[in-house]
Amino acid sequence: MIETREITKSFGNKAVLRGVSLSVQNGETLVVLGRSGCGKSVILKHLIGLIKPDSGEVFVDGEPVTGLAERELTSVRRKIGMLFQSAALFDSMSVEENLAFPLQEQGIRDLKVINERVAEALEMVDLPGEQKKAPSDLSGGMRKRVGLARTIIGKPRCILYDEPTTGLDPITSDSINHLIRRLQRRLGVTSIVVTHDMKTAFHCADRVAFLHEGRVHFFGTPDEMRASKDTEIMNFIEGHSGDTDT
Amino acid sequence: MQNILTKIGRAALAILAYIGEVAQLAMESFLSIFSMHVRWRLVMRHIVEIGARSQIVVIVTGAFTGAVFSAQLYFQLQRLGMASTVGSVTAVAMFRELGPALAGLMVAGRVGASIAAEIGTMKVTEQVDALRSIGVHPVDYLVVPRVAAMMISMPLLVAECCAFSVLSANYVALKVLGIAEAGYMRNLIFYVDLFDIYKALIKGFVFGLIIVFVACREGLRTENGAAGVGRAPTEAVVISSLAILAVNFILTFALNIIFPAS
Ligand SMILES: Nc1ncnc2c1ncn2[C@@H]1O[C@H](COP(=O)(O)OP(=O)(O)O)[C@@H](O)[C@H]1O
Ligand SMILES: [Mg+2]
Repeated sequence: MIETREITKSFGNKAVLRGVSLSVQNGETLVVLGRSGCGKSVILKHLIGLIKPDSGEVFVDGEPVTGLAERELTSVRRKIGMLFQSAALFDSMSVEENLAFPLQEQGIRDLKVINERVAEALEMVDLPGEQKKAPSDLSGGMRKRVGLARTIIGKPRCILYDEPTTGLDPITSDSINHLIRRLQRRLGVTSIVVTHDMKTAFHCADRVAFLHEGRVHFFGTPDEMRASKDTEIMNFIEGHSGDTDT
Repeated sequence: MQNILTKIGRAALAILAYIGEVAQLAMESFLSIFSMHVRWRLVMRHIVEIGARSQIVVIVTGAFTGAVFSAQLYFQLQRLGMASTVGSVTAVAMFRELGPALAGLMVAGRVGASIAAEIGTMKVTEQVDALRSIGVHPVDYLVVPRVAAMMISMPLLVAECCAFSVLSANYVALKVLGIAEAGYMRNLIFYVDLFDIYKALIKGFVFGLIIVFVACREGLRTENGAAGVGRAPTEAVVISSLAILAVNFILTFALNIIFPAS
């Protein structure tokens, strides 16, 4: 459903992506791993045209996205929901208004329908009854889950998760992992999950991409990754930096 | 020597590029206004924010300027026996120049700064990207409502500024300085015409557009986290204030061609 071909991107003179090719099939979950600052968030932003690549192409359902103007991207963006790393809640709106916003933009005006869908989405992220709170009154983990609720409320066919479990306690993380799987199983949602949480990776992934030095260093199934003898991958999975205490 | 020329050339190019950017934002906004439904609920909210809450500042500025202007004129003109023209000269100066310029500068400081800070914060906290990811163009949601609110508010603010300056000038001239009322009022009505009011409103309208587009541009271009959010309002105020003063000069001549002074 989504494919990138050799995308490169530099900020100033810093080359962040040096030729990234990835693809996700319909209904599949791809987990993108890599160290902080290696460009995972930048890749996700390329997929819905928030960032334009310096070179290379992005395809969604076979259609090239790269050349589209901002207004032409709307149809692509309606298909693909994105959970931002920072949650990116609109802080001038309450939780409820944040969640209602994508629905209103889709043209849904019926207040009863909106209220029901808002309640349902909050239920799914384990925050029932939090409609009236302001984003500034929420903890980091709660903001993340409200962000997730805002992402899934529009029922997108594909969801991009930017570190969905970072900053959450282990129990909540686990329930988010199950939610990602459930959305995929029940609704056939295609997912790309950016994370460095190995538990999320092995729980959710049909396929794993490991990003290193601006390229896809490894692309395969979770089992192939576990079996890999590549030092970069083994260090990442086990969390070895190579530093010593002395 | 060559070094200086290079620097001047660079600065000129930078200014042109900046004007181009602001003009592009303006064009996108007007296309959006003409082609789409404007979000009137947001427009109303920004009219309160931009217009209603700026009234005190603008009225106080106008009133004190009118008062001191008429006092200074009186000190000079009474020696020539022309004290009765104090009101008309003050009114003409306020309508044609000081009212719109002062209101523009005050609104640039109050509203321009807050627009740049608000949009800038949304930019660095990825809220602008979140809007885009939902399929909402930032110009439609963030810029257009503010532009519409400014277009409605700014002429009214300038009108208030001018009105209160004339009222306070009248008070100072007639009550404090004791100028004879009959001659004063006759001159005021004779020398101030509808064209002067047009000039004030048109200038106010243009300055409002300058403020809102510069502020939105600064907000949408904000980068580098908190430091960037700190810089955006300052830049917005400085740039729009300078632009107001420069454009005011051009407008003065242009408007005098369209509405010649009688
Ligand atoms: N808008 C931007 N402007 C400049 N540099 C950026 C921008 N976005 C990301 N970067 C840089 O790109 C690199 C990768 O960032 P990111 O994708 O956020 O990393 P991560 O893999 O942790 O998500 C970082 O070094 C970051 O500083
Ligand atoms: Mg990231």
